[in-house]
Amino acid sequence: MTNPSACVRTSLAALVAVVAGLSAAACANDEGARPPTAMVERVARLQRLNGLLQRQIELAEGKAFYLVFDPGASDLTLMLSGAELQRYPVIGLQVGEPRVSWFGRRDSRPWQDVVWSHGELDPPREIDRLVVQAPPPQKDAAEPEPPPVPPTPEEMYPVPSRYQVRFDEGRSIEVRPLEADKQAGRLARFGAWWSAKWHDVVAAVFRRDRDGVRLRIVLDPKDAASLYRSLPPAVRLIVIPQRRPTPPAPQRPAGGGR
Amino acid sequence: MAETEPGPAAVSPDGAPAAAGSTKRVLLRIGRVTIDRRSIAVSSAIVGLLAGIAWAGTGYRYQAYVDEPARLSGSVPKGERELKQLVSRLDRRSRDLTARLKATAPRGVYIVIDQTQNRLYLKKDDETLLDAKCSAGSGMVLKESVGKKRQWVFDTPRGRFGVLSMLRDPAWAKPDWAFVEEGQPIPSNPADRIETGSLGEYGLYFGNGYMIHGTLYERLLGRAVSHGCIRVGRDDLRKVWANARLGTRIFIY
Repeated sequence: MTNPSACVRTSLAALVAVVAGLSAAACANDEGARPPTAMVERVARLQRLNGLLQRQIELAEGKAFYLVFDPGASDLTLMLSGAELQRYPVIGLQVGEPRVSWFGRRDSRPWQDVVWSHGELDPPREIDRLVVQAPPPQKDAAEPEPPPVPPTPEEMYPVPSRYQVRFDEGRSIEVRPLEADKQAGRLARFGAWWSAKWHDVVAAVFRRDRDGVRLRIVLDPKDAASLYRSLPPAVRLIVIPQRRPTPPAPQRPAGGGR
Repeated sequence: MAETEPGPAAVSPDGAPAAAGSTKRVLLRIGRVTIDRRSIAVSSAIVGLLAGIAWAGTGYRYQAYVDEPARLSGSVPKGERELKQLVSRLDRRSRDLTARLKATAPRGVYIVIDQTQNRLYLKKDDETLLDAKCSAGSGMVLKESVGKKRQWVFDTPRGRFGVLSMLRDPAWAKPDWAFVEEGQPIPSNPADRIETGSLGEYGLYFGNGYMIHGTLYERLLGRAVSHGCIRVGRDDLRKVWANARLGTRIFIY
């Protein structure tokens, strides 16, 4: 006769053994099947780097002006055909996302690994062209009056205290020179903040489509003015991720081959 | 302090006559609810406070820039050896692309012109050899008053160009607008269009009638006064001439 409790104990022990065995096997299989995390991260980083390099080459081979923004090096560079035209050191950088009544309304579209296109100044740069009506031709025309001397760039293009470069798909750069201007008084700063706050409220509530992601950069007032006066139309932009040293691929210890 | 405003409508909320010193002017009664000045003031204050909190939390939330983590595109092999091969392939491609990107940058001497600031930079690789004042196009519009009533816009073109020809003591074949601007009849003999000495010692022609040349009006350098060409002072022009070659790249923005 068999003892029923001994039988139950034996069955339970067998069951536990089987479960333990299966779990161990599953774990072993899983570990064997999963590639090393460091290597996978390295693959992802390299894929991203190559994508960015490819896009930069495409920009450099095109005929359009483009901006390269390198947060790691803290500069914004205006380029054409691979040539660096003007470099603007970036003093401060933040990323802005709209929110309404404390609720964030993040734009889910990617912005870091893509080329931003059709960048235009907002407010636009107004050019008041001088129009001269030529005098009627005369055989013995007296010495003509010299044409009027146009104003200097500083006189011709007043630079707003804050401006944006708006790109397609709701991406924009906001340039804030005032924060870097140590000469600006408290009243001027408060005025700028007040005006900016109302603009932001309107943009967050009504214009999220054209202002979904905003890079706020602080430039030296002189650089901000230069960028505003010089930015070509329909400029493109690419953001280069901060260069972190890519860790070397893990080395197998000597004699540790499989 | 309690608001006391004795008046004909002074009643307590339950309809009983209000005690002296705590009377309120009831503005509206809906069923058992009465609305008086105090309740309006309190509710306005609450609404204002809530609106203020909502306003403060509306706009843009700024945070420090953070790189988004790199994401894998496609699947990766599971075996370590295959993975290493993939990494090696990607590394090689990365080196190739970096070299290709570097090759897009201009080599040797090139000229950069900021036409808004009226500056000319002569560069060699990463080095700036010359930073000079210049004069770019004025952007002026000239309208012909008789005849075909043409009009010209004196802009400097933006973009990438190359030196197509280099001229010593360049002569200027004056175009129609030069005569129209001066109120002179347009000559029928091409030889009457030629003017010498007004373009300085050298001219670097970069296409469509545009040149980098000298000027008689050096005092106006730094201002946009030209008809589209780039005017440079005599000494700076000599440096540009000494370094430039046929094909030297010119970038104008």
